[in-house]
Amino acid sequence: MSYISPTKIDEALEVLSRGSGKIIAGGTDVYPSAQLGQHPDFYMDVTRIDGLKRISVSKDIVHFGSAVTWTDIINADLGSAFDALKATAREVGSVQIQNAATLAGNVCNASPAADGVPPLLALDASVELASRAQGSRLLPLAEFITGVRSTVLRRDEMVVGLQVPVPPSTMTSAFEKLGSRRYLVISICMTAVNLVLDQDNRITDARIAVGACSAVAQRLPALEASVIGQRPADVEIKPEFLAPLTPINDVRGAAAYRYDVVQEQCRRAIMQAASR
Amino acid sequence: MTIEINNRPYDLPDDARISLLDFMRERLEFFGSKKGCNQGACGACTVLVDGERILSCLALAAQYDGRSVTTIEGVANGDELHPLQALFVEHEGMQCGYCTPGQIMSGIALKSELERGAPSNVSSDLTVAPRLSRDEIKERLSGNLCRCGAHNGIIDAVAAYVGGEEQ
Ligand SMILES: Cc1cc2nc3c(=O)[nH]c(=O)nc-3n(C[C@H](O)[C@H](O)[C@H](O)COP(=O)(O)OP(=O)(O)OC[C@H]3O[C@@H](n4cnc5c(N)ncnc54)[C@H](O)[C@@H]3O)c2cc1C
Ligand code: FES
Ligand code: FES
Repeated sequence: MSYISPTKIDEALEVLSRGSGKIIAGGTDVYPSAQLGQHPDFYMDVTRIDGLKRISVSKDIVHFGSAVTWTDIINADLGSAFDALKATAREVGSVQIQNAATLAGNVCNASPAADGVPPLLALDASVELASRAQGSRLLPLAEFITGVRSTVLRRDEMVVGLQVPVPPSTMTSAFEKLGSRRYLVISICMTAVNLVLDQDNRITDARIAVGACSAVAQRLPALEASVIGQRPADVEIKPEFLAPLTPINDVRGAAAYRYDVVQEQCRRAIMQAASR
Repeated sequence: MTIEINNRPYDLPDDARISLLDFMRERLEFFGSKKGCNQGACGACTVLVDGERILSCLALAAQYDGRSVTTIEGVANGDELHPLQALFVEHEGMQCGYCTPGQIMSGIALKSELERGAPSNVSSDLTVAPRLSRDEIKERLSGNLCRCGAHNGIIDAVAAYVGGEEQ
């Protein structure tokens, strides 16, 4: 098996067009799930491709190249709307994992418990894809991930980066994660909230996303609509607001427990975002 | 295709499937980095790549072509222990010693991360420099488990190393 480390995007797309390879970024999801005796024809490492390690901010777009690691996010100078994403970065695995693992890898792996997805949904992120045959395309994150460990990524396609429309400068955000222990843990449930408040401390914009309570993390549009015009402390979280969620009973927690946790996480994340 | 380990170049293996940890232990006989879980959960295999800590069990050797790796074998100066090694002895930061190389490599990286002002999950206020509290050190060492439970001594040693002994 070969290991290919292209330095140019065109070269990478040519390699992928040969088929039956596996893309590697940090490898922190790929290696533990590798099966003895089964391996792809080649691994293609995306981390040395020119420009993909950059976080760039233009007038309208904040762009995260697909080789950007969690540590790069922790160290980047981004506005308060990105505090939730930064908090997520500090909770992924351990520092050793954060140094190697990427945001794009987290998204492409498409685990229901991928911690990066709720904060990216709350930032209205889109995924930028490219292939040699089809050129590039841009998809909202919610359309990119289609189910448990499945995405619309074609065999010859790669993620080039993630794009976030520049959020209002007054937007704040917060992230809540619950696991069965404090460290190195797969989330039972996690919630990201992005808010804008007016001078009267009333919510004028809200984006709330929950992970690990459905096959793919979900925004909660009914809850978002209901909090507009309210003060954070008065927010009420009614069960019907949680309709997009379909939590399951599994080894990490019961469905009923997850419903309780989501409501508490929404409350806490709203209060925390409002206090920033 | 070469990789530098403790300032010496080595040819990378032909088989790209070999992990950095297996390459070091089985081909080069650097037995310092330990295999605890082989899946990223224990930190016994922690090494530095260009000064940053990573898990060598969750890395292919080929991934680090041209990069510079430091292992526990590379931290002492001849017979003189690295300051953090000496502090592990002084504070009895070990029992069986299996996790120790990983703890020490993590502790060395942790100090430079703190000096750079990198926030952890304890320092949630990103605008102020992190305090050198015990909680900070625990958080930042959370990727390194010790099955013997020598954590108190480990944290004492690392606290003394980073210069923050406030409890
Ligand atoms: C001990 C441990 C703890 C962990 N803790 C957490 C945690 O707390 N929270 C969490 O969410 N995750 C956690 N993870 C999972 C993992 O570390 C993250 O999902 C990480 O962000 C994956 O990034 P990576 O760069 O290592 O991905 P890789 O393993 O390199 O890739 C993951 C998947 O994405 C694909 N891929 C990667 N880059 C691209 C690209 N540019 N284009 C197309 N496809 C691509 C790969 O082919 C693969 O299928 C943990 C893992 C371990 C081993
Ligand atoms: S052996 Fe690498 S983390 Fe356990
Ligand atoms: S000293 Fe035995 S595992 Fe840590």
